[in-house]
Amino acid sequence: MNYFDLFALPHSFEIDLAKLSAAFQSLQKMAHPDKFAHASSQQQLLAVQKSANINDAYQILKTPIKRAEYMLQQRGTDMPSEQTSFQDTLFLMRQMELHEMLEELPHADDIDGAVNAANETLDNEYQILFCQLQQLMQDNNTASDKIASEIVRKLKFYQKLQLELERIEEQLFDE
Amino acid sequence: MALLQIAEPGQSTVPHDHRLAAGIDLGTTNSLIASVKSGLAETLSDDDNRTILPSIVSYQANEILVGDAAKQYSISDPKNTIISAKRLIGRSQADIEKKYPHLPYQFVGNENHPDIQTRQGAINPVQVSSEILKKLTKRAEKALGGELTGVVITVPAYFDDAQRQSTKDAAKLAGVEVLRLLNEPTAAAVAYGLDSGTEGVIAVYDLGGGTFDISILRLNKGVFEVLATGGDSALGGDDFDLLIVELLVEQAGLARPLSVNLERQLLQQACFAKEQLSTQDHVEIVLTLAENNEYKTTLTKDFFNTLAKPLVSKTLRACKRAIKDAGVSIDEVIEVVMVGGSTRVPLVRNDVEKYFKRTLLTSIDPDKVVAIGAAIQADILAGNKPDSDILLLDVIPLSLGIETMGGLVEKIIPRNTTIPVAKAQEFTTFKDGQTAMAIHVLQGERELVDDCRSLARFELRGIPAMTAGAAHIRVTFKVDADGLLEVTAMEKSSKVATSIAVKPSFGLADDEITKMLTDSMANAEQDMQARMLKEQQVEAKRVLESVQAALAADGDLLSEQERNDISNALFQLVEITQNSDQNPTGIKDIEVAIEKVDNLTAYFAELRMDTSIRQALSGQKVDDI
Repeated sequence: MNYFDLFALPHSFEIDLAKLSAAFQSLQKMAHPDKFAHASSQQQLLAVQKSANINDAYQILKTPIKRAEYMLQQRGTDMPSEQTSFQDTLFLMRQMELHEMLEELPHADDIDGAVNAANETLDNEYQILFCQLQQLMQDNNTASDKIASEIVRKLKFYQKLQLELERIEEQLFDE
Repeated sequence: MALLQIAEPGQSTVPHDHRLAAGIDLGTTNSLIASVKSGLAETLSDDDNRTILPSIVSYQANEILVGDAAKQYSISDPKNTIISAKRLIGRSQADIEKKYPHLPYQFVGNENHPDIQTRQGAINPVQVSSEILKKLTKRAEKALGGELTGVVITVPAYFDDAQRQSTKDAAKLAGVEVLRLLNEPTAAAVAYGLDSGTEGVIAVYDLGGGTFDISILRLNKGVFEVLATGGDSALGGDDFDLLIVELLVEQAGLARPLSVNLERQLLQQACFAKEQLSTQDHVEIVLTLAENNEYKTTLTKDFFNTLAKPLVSKTLRACKRAIKDAGVSIDEVIEVVMVGGSTRVPLVRNDVEKYFKRTLLTSIDPDKVVAIGAAIQADILAGNKPDSDILLLDVIPLSLGIETMGGLVEKIIPRNTTIPVAKAQEFTTFKDGQTAMAIHVLQGERELVDDCRSLARFELRGIPAMTAGAAHIRVTFKVDADGLLEVTAMEKSSKVATSIAVKPSFGLADDEITKMLTDSMANAEQDMQARMLKEQQVEAKRVLESVQAALAADGDLLSEQERNDISNALFQLVEITQNSDQNPTGIKDIEVAIEKVDNLTAYFAELRMDTSIRQALSGQKVDDI
């Protein structure tokens, strides 16, 4: 069953998160294993399976990048795998610069300021790509979907940088 | 077993009897049991009117003492008196000795799940916990006047798979049916949530004797959705005590190693001093070092606060991370629930209040709140409240992954994923003709295998010989609603059934549990048989009730032929179950009869579930939900 149908939501990249969350909770009230705690093993196993499916669908629709990936896959677009070499050299060079920026953070004079600036840089560049993705998802044709899938891949690079920044931040401010 | 009637479609089934159920807070230092009596959850007390059972078990020559009776031996007989077994459960000897270097116990046996040498032989921490569970369930059965259908046992949200599994094993040893392992902070939120009907984001700060948990939840119309959880399964009020112990050792000029009795005395004095400082500005500490040799000192509240500050700050860092993981801002948190005896320490309250900028919720006794929440949930899970709107959606506290090349961990299920969850990942061979593959399952957030916790090792055998990279091995991780992991693997292209050998890295293997069970029984073989028979009879009853209710509600989804086949299989099951006490092959016969019913109803059950899921959202606009 299509995840949007499961949650009774329109097939659209723009999603009402409050409605998604409310629908998710209503579904779990029917399927969660806790509702079958005194039922037979068969029913309990079935509940675990259904409840896990609902959880998975919820995670995918809730997270924009996963949602885009799911929709593109449903539209029959092949996602370029992460291992496939990247053609966009400009983008790759920018990624290397950003990596260097993160590596330099612990050596900055004003660490707080540098971390904030890094956060802002990553956020801005992510947002620019994300806006493009929003438009492309709406265009919904073979050509736009192909570009969208490349943008999804680029956004994943930014996600990794964001995680890296969080890790550095934790290390710097933890002790 | 009572004769059960088969209901026809449309005919309602007999209403259920009230099933006795209880919630157990199996704590590091103290344990409690609570139950819902005439609609109200309350903790149950023993004959001496005590609700708190110290989590202490003493192995004396002819008896096993639990609770206060065991506590009196904790100084005079420390080697045979096990305190804080919860800190040892599901832990390796290396882990334990690194964290608690001065324990009086002598560890023996497998160093991945060490036993403690007592005068009653080698005892595993799982067995210690099972003694506490036995004592509490006996108390409940006496107070409630009947056998318990099942219990909800609480665990720290931050417990990993090995610690959860060990807790469940302890229940199995104690012979109690676990309806659910419930995270302590979630239980506390249930206890409060019901009273106030709050909607919005709340934080539960739970500092117990040995563990610290922080959970961020969103409450909405009876649903408790855990957004994120964090903490430290080895940080608790006991650590405040240890700091005072170290201070005393230094001030009194004592040289380690100290006698085990003196270590226990130091610990008791430290704990006493900490408790006094919750209400006083200073406390006198007196140690008996030897006969006629006392050491006296004064500890001020200010100095204690200086000692404790780094520990409290550590908990606040975990709070910060949990809030971030939850994707909310600190201003969205409308309530902060305080749980655990250690939240009585004024420094803790003060710093937590400052951090969240909210008045803390402390109206329910922090020692009892978890047990009360667990009791409410147990009552629901036992089926006593079919119309209850409460639903607890919990998360997995630590990421699950497997070892890849170069000692790195690839995460398969990230932390804070709502459970139950199932995720599959494909792997391939890296050598030509490779027919076996080792799979190492880990839990934790770090990138290197050595920094994560090893959960299990698998050997996948019988992969057909192919060129490197041609085999597709699909590894499926399933985490159930208790937070327990099950891993399965298969080679996809060949569909060849591959054998899997599971070896838990920590905790006990199934056959070890069975051996402990049989060892503990007087007439091992017969007792074991009787217990297995009873379990099958209970399952048979559940199958009957489930299928009857299903037929009554949705029997018209089936053809008459299908209904008849199912009814016949049910009649057979009833008959076999009724005669199973006298039948030497009773256990196996019930199993076969259940399987027959299961096979006949598999499609029906799935159809009903799918229909109910579809109907959950149809007939009402999403806006109205």
